[in-house]
Amino acid sequence: MGDLDDDLRRLFSDDRLDVHSVAVSTEAVLRGANRRRRRRNAVAGTFALVTLVGAGIGVSRLGASSPDGTAGALLTTSTSAPTTSASPPPVSTSSRTEAVTTGQPPNSTGGNTGKPDAGGTSRSSPKSSSSPPTPESQPGRYGTLALGMSEADALATGSLVEPASPADPDNRCKAYATKSVPDTDAVIVSPVKGLVRITVPNYAKTPKNVGVGSRVADVKAAYQNAVQSGSSVLAPMSATPPWTYVFETDGTVVTAVFMRLNANDCTSV
Amino acid sequence: MTAVLQLESAAESGGGRAEAVGDFAEFVRVSMPGLLRYGHALTGNPHDAADLVQSVLEKVGSRWAAVQSKGDDPLAYVRRAMANTHISIWRRRRRENLVADIPDSGAVAPELSRLENEPLWQALRSLPPRQRAVVVLRYYENLSEAEIADALGISCGTVKSQSSKAMASLRTRLGKD
Repeated sequence: MGDLDDDLRRLFSDDRLDVHSVAVSTEAVLRGANRRRRRRNAVAGTFALVTLVGAGIGVSRLGASSPDGTAGALLTTSTSAPTTSASPPPVSTSSRTEAVTTGQPPNSTGGNTGKPDAGGTSRSSPKSSSSPPTPESQPGRYGTLALGMSEADALATGSLVEPASPADPDNRCKAYATKSVPDTDAVIVSPVKGLVRITVPNYAKTPKNVGVGSRVADVKAAYQNAVQSGSSVLAPMSATPPWTYVFETDGTVVTAVFMRLNANDCTSV
Repeated sequence: MTAVLQLESAAESGGGRAEAVGDFAEFVRVSMPGLLRYGHALTGNPHDAADLVQSVLEKVGSRWAAVQSKGDDPLAYVRRAMANTHISIWRRRRRENLVADIPDSGAVAPELSRLENEPLWQALRSLPPRQRAVVVLRYYENLSEAEIADALGISCGTVKSQSSKAMASLRTRLGKD
């Protein structure tokens, strides 16, 4: 018994464990880190653009069962916009038809004719002004994932990255990365309550336009009922089931945002 | 350092980030030899060690500010991430790994090939990665059972059982039972 312990210690302190033949350069790591950050920011850029363009659609559709994946919710929203063009308010459809009247019959069913500018642009702007978001009662969902959703349903969305890892010492709750948030505990699932935590990607903003990088003061201004809890700011939402935005901060600036089910029963959430 | 200062002056609002990048580069430089060694112990070969270190550091570097704001020791964080990443990579590649047990001696430097010849090293290579990770954390990192449980996100009981399975199969392999 003692022998093996000693042998293992000796082996692990052996010089030959040093890796000389294969080097990883600091520069290569920095380049890779930048690439990953840029990729995230690129998605963030698209996010911002599409948010500007389709604020109305984005906000109202998040509430409805939007088909987009968590993998860059807005990226997918942008592609799904033409397909949803049948349902949006007639106002915009008519305005679009007017613009195209000259050469085309109106039965060309909005947007799919290959015109690149046919997206959500004209359609969404009137809507964003007419229906302001009411986040205090917004449902706890991000993309296809929703708080309270069962693990099986969440896995079926394809937004979770397997395998799961245990989220607490008792091995009861499970943690997953998502396609948009690589942290291994981006989503936490309770065997009883379903999804109890969904981490929002750091490029995303809440409907009140706060996210990672926002100042704590802005968060509190946006969410009047927000309360400070340690270094985090909690903004409760009165949806069914009730949940809370958790803004983790470094004291002045938000460093992470996640949505937490109030009835969560995982110690690590 | 000058580069950091230049970056800082160039980007007004990005000043904090430039500082963080400089900070991260320094972290990588200082911790690289130790991480490679640790990766070697975890994966059992220097090439996988290099891949593991690079991919984990890239991920950590791309969110360096967030990692630091968590208040943990970044080195401990990286080591935990390496152990967990190694275990999950292995799960994905399980089939290949079971077959690819024999090192390709052609690409291995002489001093490493001697390590390859150590019966204990060979026995370690035959362990499933979680058992191996438990052994490495215990004998390389000198972590307690509770610390290992925390690092790997498993229960103390699982650490105990994985550890005793690992030791038993090492003993069997080495003919020490």
